[in-house]
Amino acid sequence: MISPSTATSGPDIAFRKVSKVYGNAEGGFVALDKVDLTVSRHEFVAIVGPSGCGKTTLMRMAAGLDFPTSGDVLVRDRQVEGPGPDRAVVFQQFALMPWKTVRDNIGFGLKCRGAAPSEIKQVTDRYITMMRLQGHESAFPHQLSGGMQQRVAIARSYAVDPDVLLMDEPFGALDAQTRLVMQEELVQLSRVNPRTVVFITHSVEEAVFLADRIVVMGRNPGRIVEIIDVKSLRLSERWDELPIEEVMDLESFTHMRTRVWKLLKDTKRSTAA
Amino acid sequence: MAQAVRAGRRGRAGMPQVVSRGGLLSFLVVLGLWALATGPLDLVGPARFPSPADFWQSGVQIVTRGYAGGTLLTQVWHSLRLVLFGFVVASATGVGLGLLMGLSPRAEKLINPTFLLLRPIPPLAWIPLAILWFGLGDAAKIFVIWYAAFVPSVINTLTGVRGVDRTILSAAEVHGASRSQLVRDVVIPAALPMIFTGLRLSLQACWTTLVAAELVGAFFGIGRVLMTASQDVNPGMILFAMVCVAILGAGTTWLLGTLERRAMPWRQA
Ligand SMILES: Nc1ncnc2c1ncn2[C@@H]1O[C@H](COP(=O)(O)OP(=O)(O)OP(=O)(O)O)[C@@H](O)[C@H]1O
Ligand SMILES: [Mg+2]
Repeated sequence: MISPSTATSGPDIAFRKVSKVYGNAEGGFVALDKVDLTVSRHEFVAIVGPSGCGKTTLMRMAAGLDFPTSGDVLVRDRQVEGPGPDRAVVFQQFALMPWKTVRDNIGFGLKCRGAAPSEIKQVTDRYITMMRLQGHESAFPHQLSGGMQQRVAIARSYAVDPDVLLMDEPFGALDAQTRLVMQEELVQLSRVNPRTVVFITHSVEEAVFLADRIVVMGRNPGRIVEIIDVKSLRLSERWDELPIEEVMDLESFTHMRTRVWKLLKDTKRSTAA
Repeated sequence: MAQAVRAGRRGRAGMPQVVSRGGLLSFLVVLGLWALATGPLDLVGPARFPSPADFWQSGVQIVTRGYAGGTLLTQVWHSLRLVLFGFVVASATGVGLGLLMGLSPRAEKLINPTFLLLRPIPPLAWIPLAILWFGLGDAAKIFVIWYAAFVPSVINTLTGVRGVDRTILSAAEVHGASRSQLVRDVVIPAALPMIFTGLRLSLQACWTTLVAAELVGAFFGIGRVLMTASQDVNPGMILFAMVCVAILGAGTTWLLGTLERRAMPWRQA
């Protein structure tokens, strides 16, 4: 599964002194201020932070949909110049095509790549089952609930099997139960098919459960407040061997959760001042 | 209101239910008032407005013996053909130009100023020039109909393309869509509702313009029937021709609506 080149673990994504200013130079709004962040190959990085701190902006730049005012965004040591087949995005607003059925939305990326119809069918079938969308294959997005639409959007990105998966609050519209299932599924998926994931969330628990590292951001201006390593804790406490609801009960887990919570609270207080 | 809309959309099997029970009732009341006013009550003289009997006789006359140079079928077919031809050509060119301007800023910069200059000229103002250029035959009418239908097609298509949801475009891009795939799978379907709005306006403009052009001068057609009936002081025939235009307009609009529903299955239910 893993090609030789992926064995090296140089940075997959690198933000170097990335600033983003909206509006003109004088009266501009600083959405991001000299952000430095590297994401290693097959690493799972979660980004948390108050609304408007520039999480989506950061991700759009990695996707090649937006560009920094100053600084560099590199993917595999190459300047990002636009979207590429190596990166897929799950959008905060789902961004499904209302005129395509569930199946055609999920298979869109494969179709764009010129995959054979039989392959598209096989892959979409797999993700329809995984996302529990059976029976809705021919429905249009507006006929689905918000949570179902979100699962279609996730399936669409999984289906192209990208090296880098950029997810903007991908589970935000799901009910608590489906959310748990999806989180476990994502962990499972990353194990079978390791890839680099940047994952934006408002849920601290979700970040602690999923991430190797958590990036805590603050706003005004948008910046990184702290980067927390979770991976070593997960490995030493063997979270991977337990079901999610038990992990969330572990003392190591709740400690980590509280730590991130406190950081978030502090950033809010400092920006309020 | 919401109920009326729902009632109108229902009736999947067979003919769509166009008229509700209340609508039919008010229509019958108008017919009754008409019969009373021109008949027993004698409120309107036969030289100003026809009675139902006059109307009926005019209908029989034009269907069986013909009027103003042809039977009803000839006249209607003549007008319908011009409208359909003008409409199809205008939609194709109008939607095409709208897409081109919407997709290419360069094309828009090049064409839009000229278009903005021509756009305020009412189609009917082109009739004299069209007659000078093409004479009283079909060519002049097709030209004017084309112009009338072209303008709303262009404007609405352009608006539709400009209104495409940026996030959906981005989503298509990050999942590997090429430029032509973006146009085919995102821009056109997203603009389709506005494109059809434009087409409906275009179709309306086609009928208005055709009748006006035929009134000014024509050898055949429903406008010619109207003009001749006016000169003959034949209110029965005038009204009959007007009703024909109404039915043709409604019929073609219904056809377009059917096409619209077929073209956008996702807007249903
Ligand atoms: N196109 C734009 N023009 C002007 N300002 C913008 C634009 N896009 C984003 N911003 C501003 O940049 C800031 C960061 O936006 P961004 O969408 O990245 O926030 P976010 O962290 O994703 O927030 P949320 O958690 O609410 O999704 C916000 O204050 C927003 O108002
Ligand atoms: Mg956001």
